[in-house]
Amino acid sequence: MLRPDINDLLTQTGPGTPMGNLFRRYWQPVLHADELPEDGCPPVRVKILSERLIAVRTPEGEYGLMDEFCAHRGVSMFFGRVEDGGIRCPYHGWKYNANGQAIDVPSELNNSEFCKNVKLRSYPLVKLGDILWAYLGDPQKQPALPAWEFATVPTRQTFTSKRLQENNWLQALEGGIDSSHVSWLHGGGPTGSGLEADPLFAGAKGNQYNKGDLKPFFEVVENDGGLLIAARRNAEEGHYYWRVTPWVLPNFTLVPPRGDHPIHGHFWVPIDDENCWSWSFDYHPTRELSEAEVSAMEAGAGVHSKNIPGTYRPVANKDNDYLIDRVKQKSGELFSGVEGIAIQDSSLQESMGPVVDRTKERLVATDAGIIKARQKLRRAVEALRDHGTEPAGNVIEHQKIRSVAIVLPPDLPFVEGIGDGFQAREGVPQTTV
Amino acid sequence: MMATSTNPLSACARAVTAEEAAYRIDYPLAHARSTRVIAFDESAAQTVASVAAVGWGQAQFYTASSSGDELVTLSGEPRVMIAEIEHSDSVIFAATDAMDPGAVASVGAACRERSIMTAGLLLLDSGPLSGTTLAAIRPYVRVLLVPADEDDLFELLKAIRA
Ligand code: FES
Ligand SMILES: [Fe+2]
Repeated sequence: MLRPDINDLLTQTGPGTPMGNLFRRYWQPVLHADELPEDGCPPVRVKILSERLIAVRTPEGEYGLMDEFCAHRGVSMFFGRVEDGGIRCPYHGWKYNANGQAIDVPSELNNSEFCKNVKLRSYPLVKLGDILWAYLGDPQKQPALPAWEFATVPTRQTFTSKRLQENNWLQALEGGIDSSHVSWLHGGGPTGSGLEADPLFAGAKGNQYNKGDLKPFFEVVENDGGLLIAARRNAEEGHYYWRVTPWVLPNFTLVPPRGDHPIHGHFWVPIDDENCWSWSFDYHPTRELSEAEVSAMEAGAGVHSKNIPGTYRPVANKDNDYLIDRVKQKSGELFSGVEGIAIQDSSLQESMGPVVDRTKERLVATDAGIIKARQKLRRAVEALRDHGTEPAGNVIEHQKIRSVAIVLPPDLPFVEGIGDGFQAREGVPQTTV
Repeated sequence: MMATSTNPLSACARAVTAEEAAYRIDYPLAHARSTRVIAFDESAAQTVASVAAVGWGQAQFYTASSSGDELVTLSGEPRVMIAEIEHSDSVIFAATDAMDPGAVASVGAACRERSIMTAGLLLLDSGPLSGTTLAAIRPYVRVLLVPADEDDLFELLKAIRA
């Protein structure tokens, strides 16, 4: 249960809201790099943190992200014409550079003087990995560029997809932190494990521990950037098999690895208070992804989704009841009747309504991980709001993190047993079973 | 209709709007039933007592005896452990490195036999965790917060409507 005012505090991310201000302390992924595929390509609409923006790539190769609407009469710059040095509004010909500065207002005689006073709100947009990242906060406080390993390994070692999720960002994040849903929703419920059916999970030794122990224990450990959420199962001779998910404030999680498969993870980026982008990525720290892996990811396997061509909306969505298959649900072939991890999550999280009413929850003691994450978010939001304290997660050290799967003796703090296995280190493989 | 086309009449599309969410029926949810918070050593007992002082709906607070067979209430009355947890739906363990592993084991085993949900808080000021403490408490609590503080206990109890 959460008080209504705290639910609002954590779920509202528009300009001027406390959580919105927190999000504006971080670089966030906003577009696939190939959504602006070449210099001088058409502009793309972006909506993030309840702000409507337009992204441009000038013929000179400069990226820009600015107010979607022309300063003159409010036409959408989606219809703008990308020209040398910027983008021109087709209505009366006002032209802006990549920073949103007006550089040509043809109808004004004293052109350059007038231009100086016309500027669209704009934000830095940078390409890192195969993603364009934006920073919507105070320019004086702009953090270092993102250092997440998935975005900094060579391009052939990483794959990213995104899908529209039609609910508030926090509902989606909470799914990433709530490890206790995994053996139900994604594992085939009490009857078995769906892991071996997915080419991006199959064959890992750890899968056997998953299957052999369907009631994991959990440990939630404080970490500099957020939390480490560990699921513990029995392994051989009284040893424990640990799967450790790092959460880094505010909206980044990594799924623990399986064997030598790529590591996957997520960003949940608010579009507005009732929609978010679910970014999903897969990367391998030390090797290129194989063709088979990439085609499985493109086909929507693992944490990815099959989207309607030309869009980022999943083929299975609320308009078709997520293609739920009641026969497979009954037989147990698909525990929830819905295919694929991504849609299993989105079907249920969207079903809660755009912003779930957390005053009606019946949380139990084993929801302690979610309770703790909310508490940390709330503290970070309030500390920023009341004291200007910089939140965790926007420094490089907090971002150079890995998820881990490992077998350890029963009396070892897993943090100790894993040691620098949590560190993203160039050329060093992930710690995995 | 093709699977990819928009069908405004699908059950989910109609149901998941904000307008429809407003029709979620409204009635008071039951509080958690007989939450038991048990401190396993002196320093954990101080934290538990200070959280208890806030006043709760139904949660009860104790310190465990060293065998674990007895639970002592905050007002100092000894009670039989089994009788106190019998009708509980969740037991929260609060401990530091000074806890008695035997007490944790006996309360833990009693909870397990009765399928009572358990959670643990390791209240550590600083410094590394002792392996003995971890090994002793791990088998008995479904979720363990490491480290945890007074605030964690407070938030947990509030969240579960204790
Ligand atoms: S069992 Fe968790 S939401 Fe229903
Ligand atoms: Fe999930």
